[in-house]
Amino acid sequence: MNTRRFLLEAAALIAAAVICALVSNALAARERKMALVGFYPNAQKVPAQTTTTAAPVAAPPVAAAVPAVGTAASPPPPAPATETVAIRPAKTPAATPKPADISRFAVHTDKPFIEIHYDDVKALHDAGVLFLDARRTSIYEQGHITGARPFSVWESDIDDKVRKLYDERPDEKQQAQPIVVYCSGGDCEDSHMLAQKLWGIQFNNVYVYKDGYPDWVAHKGDTHTGSNP
Amino acid sequence: MKRWLQSPWLTIRVQLALGVFFVAAALPKIVDPPSFAHMVYNYRIMPGGVINLMALVMPWIELLCGLALILGIWTAAARSIIAAMLLTFIAAISINLARGNAIDCGCFDPNPRPKSRAERLDDMRFVIYRDLGMLLMAGQLWYAARRDD
Repeated sequence: MNTRRFLLEAAALIAAAVICALVSNALAARERKMALVGFYPNAQKVPAQTTTTAAPVAAPPVAAAVPAVGTAASPPPPAPATETVAIRPAKTPAATPKPADISRFAVHTDKPFIEIHYDDVKALHDAGVLFLDARRTSIYEQGHITGARPFSVWESDIDDKVRKLYDERPDEKQQAQPIVVYCSGGDCEDSHMLAQKLWGIQFNNVYVYKDGYPDWVAHKGDTHTGSNP
Repeated sequence: MKRWLQSPWLTIRVQLALGVFFVAAALPKIVDPPSFAHMVYNYRIMPGGVINLMALVMPWIELLCGLALILGIWTAAARSIIAAMLLTFIAAISINLARGNAIDCGCFDPNPRPKSRAERLDDMRFVIYRDLGMLLMAGQLWYAARRDD
């Protein structure tokens, strides 16, 4: 076998594959298109393995306080420290329904996100806080938390969506409003990746719904299907 | 044995089977690159900046090499690239098995059903054996080609 010919054929196959890939990506629908250069700060960090099963259930919230380094203006570090907290309101007699008090969800500039569980998520949802669904748009359309917007981190328009969100909330006060991001629970990390992106552009009050959409459905939370929030 | 391993009867069947495997593996990934990028990310090996590019290009390499084997054109280059890819897949899965990172391989389906950690680890072991089998097929093609040279 002629080595030169062999190398030329191999190079031609790979070059043809690259061209096909670029053309197909350029022609792909929005939810199938990807940015050529991805931004995944934890791409080489192996996650701590858990023994969670496919259908996660709500775990009791664990109170913890782990300080983390970093400032609002700095880019997200490769391995941010996070915490899972239960942010409990003071108990009051529930005579008449009141608007949910979310003042306890304070800005946390030192870490990209705080993981929360159903009770806190429900309180934030009742208060009309912005929810972002980090799962694929096709999955979002099959069912999502009512009011949530599709923000898939794997699709090419994610940076545009994040930028648009920043334009909607240009001042510091608006950026300090809580945002809840979620994906599929279990070992899904899309919500954490989205939270890091948001933190990188000054959104300092982001909460990750750790158990995600399956947990919301298990608690019979309000859901909506289709492409609208 | 040597004559049988180099026989055109065996070679053409192995070539077609390997080609079909790779075309079948490539198509679901080409249809849904973001899901495959997610699979590549889960391996925790590649730098973040190249994950998307890899997820876009690799399925097309698989498809074109598979088609080359099926059609019988540029077979030497195609089987060599396929062998290199199989070695890479085996190494990537082995690294993750060794460090206990249970992942879906994303080999034939970038949208696998949710599995437990134990199921994933079992699947990873199976994938290594399966890829070793396909590597043997590529080896047979290489061995048979020596007769023609």
